[in-house]
Amino acid sequence: MGEKAIIEINKLVKHYKNADADAVDSMSLRIGQGEIYGLLGPNGAGKTTTISMLCGLLRPDSGDIIIDGLNLKTSADKIKSLIGVVPQDIAIYEELTAKENLGFFGKMYGLKNAEIKNISNSLLMRFRLGEKAGQRAKTFSGGMKRRLNLIAGIMHSPKILFLDEPTVGIDVQSKNVILEFLKEIKESGTTIVYTSHIMEEAEKLCSRISIMDRGKEIASGTPKDLLEKNTDCKNLEDIFLKLTGRKLRE
Amino acid sequence: MNKLFATIKKEILILSRDKAGLAMLFIMPVFLVLVMTLLQDSTFKQLDEKQLPVLIINHDADTFGLRILECMKSSKFFKITEIGNIGKQDLIQKIEKGDYLIGIFINENATKQIRQSIQVKIQGQFPDEVGQLFEYEDSLPGQARVEIFFDPILKSSYKQSILGSLKHFSAMVEARLMFDIYSGLFKDLLDIELRPAGNFDDIVHFDEKYASGGTNQIIPNSVQHNVPAWTIFAMFFIVIPLASNIIKERHSGVSARLLTIAGSKLTSNLGKGVTYFIVGFIQAILMLLIGFFILPLFGLPSLQIGGNVLALFVVTIAVVMAATTYGIAIGNIATTEQQSSIFGSISVVILAAIGGVWVPTFMMSDLMLDLSKTSPLNWGLNAYYDILLRNSGLIDLLPGIALLLGFSFVCMFLSFLYSKRGLN
Ligand SMILES: Nc1ncnc2c1ncn2[C@@H]1O[C@H](COP(=O)(O)OP(=O)(O)OP(=O)(O)O)[C@@H](O)[C@H]1O
Ligand SMILES: [Mg+2]
Repeated sequence: MGEKAIIEINKLVKHYKNADADAVDSMSLRIGQGEIYGLLGPNGAGKTTTISMLCGLLRPDSGDIIIDGLNLKTSADKIKSLIGVVPQDIAIYEELTAKENLGFFGKMYGLKNAEIKNISNSLLMRFRLGEKAGQRAKTFSGGMKRRLNLIAGIMHSPKILFLDEPTVGIDVQSKNVILEFLKEIKESGTTIVYTSHIMEEAEKLCSRISIMDRGKEIASGTPKDLLEKNTDCKNLEDIFLKLTGRKLRE
Repeated sequence: MNKLFATIKKEILILSRDKAGLAMLFIMPVFLVLVMTLLQDSTFKQLDEKQLPVLIINHDADTFGLRILECMKSSKFFKITEIGNIGKQDLIQKIEKGDYLIGIFINENATKQIRQSIQVKIQGQFPDEVGQLFEYEDSLPGQARVEIFFDPILKSSYKQSILGSLKHFSAMVEARLMFDIYSGLFKDLLDIELRPAGNFDDIVHFDEKYASGGTNQIIPNSVQHNVPAWTIFAMFFIVIPLASNIIKERHSGVSARLLTIAGSKLTSNLGKGVTYFIVGFIQAILMLLIGFFILPLFGLPSLQIGGNVLALFVVTIAVVMAATTYGIAIGNIATTEQQSSIFGSISVVILAAIGGVWVPTFMMSDLMLDLSKTSPLNWGLNAYYDILLRNSGLIDLLPGIALLLGFSFVCMFLSFLYSKRGLN
């Protein structure tokens, strides 16, 4: 990694109350400016837990998080103004229309009325929600809700974007729109941290990846590096299965 | 500020789409205040104007017996039935049967006995040289007697009231008799003819006023009780939509999303508080308007609010604060929406019952009366009574307002403690 690190985490540990094992167990990462970084792993690996700590939702038991040169412990509010989060679970108001949802979140991000109007219109069109913009989110299909959930996290063009499995349950057409969009904002300098367990997607999109299992990083590097290191595997999915085992997860 | 307005706008949109919540906040209280005011109107009237049924057996067909009877009949508090010469046992039986709550038995010769007692006292005032002034009947020693029998269910306040009346009437008759005897003496000893004495009722005039802030139990009319009572009840029902709104937001993950946006969590909480605060105010105004304009259409008296609009305003703020923060606390403490609705509604209904919303506190036993003082709804209701009935000023209302605000702070503190729960 040539660029300077914009996200640096050091020996991060998180143990949930009443849990047997650590959800995140001494994770360290360095993510450079403008990267799309993939955090991969089976269910329960600790991806969401890691993201939650990175965006200040969960307090780590120990370890440090430095984002854009700021320590999360002491400058949480400054860091929050740099980031955008697209949570794994859909987090929108079901009773509000798509437009009203974006209107509200836009204001929370500090956008002006005109900006909100322009941005929501163009993003709703782009993610094929234009026609449904005036309908309440509770009438949306799962995939439509997920696309709205995504727009709500990116509409303020954050410097750093955390995406927790943004493409789950989304049809191929929309998935391609999303991946295209992410590549585009990466080009304009946005750093993206992206979790998934779909290896193919990660292979196409990510500049570098970490494979997590049971809270620990078990491999990392560019997709190309990983393939070169594991000559017996023909793609990332093989590597993933080789490293994490074929046993079913919880 | 922009963020706050955006939050309020969002909350109003969500609430306006929550039909059940709106019905609970606006239709239910309107319905309750109409029904309960009409229903309780006659009960309150009875309490206010109900005449206690009193049976009087008078065996003294002389000044005392006749005057007492006359005075009792002229009192608006009693409904007097007089039955001629029946015995004491019959009287007791009639009371046991429940026909009358009070029985008064005036013994034979009461007037003569009173007269003789007075004469003995007057005689004692004169020096021995004057000699015997009166002729006594030896057969009439002792005091005049009036016996009173109560139905055991009668409240002690009513007993006091009838005893008071009887003593008062009796004193008037005694004074009259004394005057008569002195008049006789003036004529006999000095040969001066006195003119008949006038009325004795108006020597001292008793001016009745309510002491402000006192603990005296005042009895409002049905409108004065029900309008503030159901207004408070309605305002506390804010708890249910508010708490479920908070829980929904938490479960939907929006609450977590807001935590990742700088400075938006606080604004969001504040916006919720302000929105429901406004709702509480609208409820209060709505109920006032019903008291002014709608209830009179049903033949009920119109609501009188007294002159202290500022006090009314401040108390309303305190009640809405208490209700809103209680809702926020339940929203933060409860883990599911079901839990919050059940706990919220049951607790508000119980606090309302204890606090004298359903059955006013002046009808409560002493034990319940003490218990009622633990309910925030009672603090609010009492403050409204103070304004509506006792015309109290802000200073007198401070203790009640302080209690309500104290309750709010406890709720806010609990909310704060529990809201940290998710972060660890
Ligand atoms: N709130 C919680 N309380 C207790 N344990 C939790 C909690 N959230 C997650 N865990 C546990 O922590 C571990 C990591 O969970 P996490 O959600 O981070 O996994 P993930 O990699 O995001 O999985 P998925 O692919 O299913 O989203 C799991 O074992 C999970 O059971
Ligand atoms: Mg996850």
